[in-house]
Amino acid sequence: MKQNNIDHIIELSNELRWQIGDEFHDNLTESIYADAADIVKDTVRSKDSERRFRLDAKIDKIVTSKRFGFPIMFLILGTVLWLTIQGANYPSSLLANLLLDIIHPALKSGAAGLGMPWWLDGFLIDGVYLAVAWVIAVMLPPMAIFFPMFTLLEDFGYLPRVAFNLDALFNKSGAHGKQALTMSMGFGCNAAGVVATRIIDSPRERLIAILTNNFSLCNGRWPTQILIATIFIGAVVPKSLSSFVSLLAVIGVAVLGMVFMFGVSWGLSKTVLKGEVSTFNLELPPYRPPRFWKTIYTSLIDRTLIVLWRAIVFAAPAGAVIWLISNIHIGNESIAAWAIHSMDGFGFLLGLNGVILLAYIVAIPANEIVIPTILMLTVLVTGVGVGEGAGVMFELDSINATADVLKAGGWTLLTAINLMLFSLLHNPCSTTIYTIYKETNSVKWTVVASVMPVILGFIVTFLVAQLWRLMF
Amino acid sequence: MHTYNPISALLVFFSIGALLYFLFRPSKGWYWILKNQLTSNEKTIIEDVLKQLYHFENSNNKVDMKTLVHMLSFSNKKIVDAINIMTVNNLIYFESDILKLTEKGREYALRIVRVHRLWERYLAEKTGFHKIEWHDRAESMEHRLNHDEVEELSRHLGHPKFDPHGDPIPTKTGKMAQVKGVELPLLQVGAMGRITHIEDEPEVIYKQILAENIHIGSLIKVVENNVTRIVFLSEGEEFKLAPIVAANLTVAPLEKEILVEDNVTRLSSLTENETAKIIGISRESRGESRRRLLDLGFVKGAQVSIDLVNPLGEPNAYLIKGTSIALRNDQAAKILIKKD
Repeated sequence: MKQNNIDHIIELSNELRWQIGDEFHDNLTESIYADAADIVKDTVRSKDSERRFRLDAKIDKIVTSKRFGFPIMFLILGTVLWLTIQGANYPSSLLANLLLDIIHPALKSGAAGLGMPWWLDGFLIDGVYLAVAWVIAVMLPPMAIFFPMFTLLEDFGYLPRVAFNLDALFNKSGAHGKQALTMSMGFGCNAAGVVATRIIDSPRERLIAILTNNFSLCNGRWPTQILIATIFIGAVVPKSLSSFVSLLAVIGVAVLGMVFMFGVSWGLSKTVLKGEVSTFNLELPPYRPPRFWKTIYTSLIDRTLIVLWRAIVFAAPAGAVIWLISNIHIGNESIAAWAIHSMDGFGFLLGLNGVILLAYIVAIPANEIVIPTILMLTVLVTGVGVGEGAGVMFELDSINATADVLKAGGWTLLTAINLMLFSLLHNPCSTTIYTIYKETNSVKWTVVASVMPVILGFIVTFLVAQLWRLMF
Repeated sequence: MHTYNPISALLVFFSIGALLYFLFRPSKGWYWILKNQLTSNEKTIIEDVLKQLYHFENSNNKVDMKTLVHMLSFSNKKIVDAINIMTVNNLIYFESDILKLTEKGREYALRIVRVHRLWERYLAEKTGFHKIEWHDRAESMEHRLNHDEVEELSRHLGHPKFDPHGDPIPTKTGKMAQVKGVELPLLQVGAMGRITHIEDEPEVIYKQILAENIHIGSLIKVVENNVTRIVFLSEGEEFKLAPIVAANLTVAPLEKEILVEDNVTRLSSLTENETAKIIGISRESRGESRRRLLDLGFVKGAQVSIDLVNPLGEPNAYLIKGTSIALRNDQAAKILIKKD
């Protein structure tokens, strides 16, 4: 009886709600909002012009103007990147010197003194330690420079204006203007760029930003691009032009990355992401003087160290794998040599080679160790007399010596160009993959984000290789 | 690699690419066609036939076998089979050549219509699919939901009365609200009214209406009405439609006593140095985006002006409640204002 009564009441309420109609609910909420606004207006006092300082409005007029808006933007981004790449050189080589040239030999001799068997010290010191040391030396300085600068701009209030200026471009590819910021952040580190997509509150646009962040050339890849461009592309033009042309080539690759970012964003928003909810709004907060030390502190702790820690966690096992595949033999070939030979055919189709493909597989944890791995593997299969032995990654101090090793490995201009393209278009590093999983909480999107760029990379390098061979 | 040559490699590549394209291209891909063929079973056909009959009977049209076969994209044999089953199960009967719904058939049809419209409402409020896709997606979904799922969906949406085009959604018990109003071409010059329904079929015409940026729930005033075109004003803009297009809009004429806010325009038409007061948000802005706008302070009575003009045209930044908020033009078009 009682249950019956309740059912009846529910039925009645549903009936009444239906009779009131659809707009009732909306009208009710909206009038609550409006009432709240009225009450605020009557009771809350504020200094009226506080927000629109004359200075604020002036800055806004300039940074969003037709004439100066874009040049200012490119100038600032260019400066930040240049400072990062140039400024990181010195501390990087200092760290490399300390970790690789002083501590590494010391550890080796210490291990020998303890009477460690060769495989244990190889596995731990040449494998695990070296990979971790390498990642720290190459990754830490640029991040420690890039993130604080970026965070200062953010804190000042400039970055939302960039999103404001560029939104129309991103809108065309179904994305959010704030993706300009996560993309720029990706130039520092893709994992940090993926975390930064939290500022985009529309679900669809956020996913797009996450899935395409990898097309921003990150800190780990800039050195590769610069090295290869200097060796191979700078060499085809007269000496006086070579540094300019190789710089141009690197910028070209970065711009190509942006083109892919727009194209893929467009494709995703038209296909798989069509049904996701999309809302847009962008708040332009007032400018304020950045809190310098606090910003430096938080960006070092929150961004740099967290990302670095994740990278180390992934790099350690990668170092172990690199050492193991070069030192475990099946028959009379090491696993590495065997894998290289079996991938050579496919590599040739892509205008690359087996060494590069294997290096990209084992160096998934960090793009920073791709070049050392390539050098080590090239020496392993060609038997050129440099380097430190099987499974020990190394880099050479002189660019010419590096060029000699690579040329001994059969590299041509085509290999170099395609390596640069593949370095742009391949799976994100494992730190980024893990971060994407953390942020999206979805295996599906993590897989898409990881596999799609590799497939694009295969297609692009394949096409370039075939056209190249047809023309030359 | 002695068989390798770049041209054959490219040929292989492009033929694989072409194959994938033909297999998976949107809607016309062989894979999708095949999948549709396999899943379009008896139930789908029966339900589609019922729905067609329902709509025809509602508009007082008569249907024979020939028209039916013409209307539906299934093979003749499948339709005939389905018709036989439906007659046996007492869903339809023949009156000489004409097909008619029985009471039971009518109930069934109404249930399908209910699912279809509920699903359109769901797509409009909870997903980001474009309006143009709502109909087709609802069309395939209506065969898939069972009774309990439909109830759950309806509850989730707050038992809505109308779908996003303004069509009434039948309740569980088959009750339906009335759409108020007449087709737009029937209004006299000078008449005012509110758009209560936008028909989404046929698609060609619906696309034109969408391209015009006409919003459901807007007030309109007819300024010209003849055989070649109908011109009306709405929200500060002028719209010109061919009568055949205008016939797909249903407009409820306003009773004289209702006080009408005049000079209502869209926020997108605000220019620099003008200020305005917000009148409300159009019904076209739904779900999450509507809530977001309210959260940001775009509520009735609020003062708004342009803070910054975008170098690329959009989004412009609006100053509202002391904060600068950038909105894209299509969003600003759904906020109604009255200029000071």
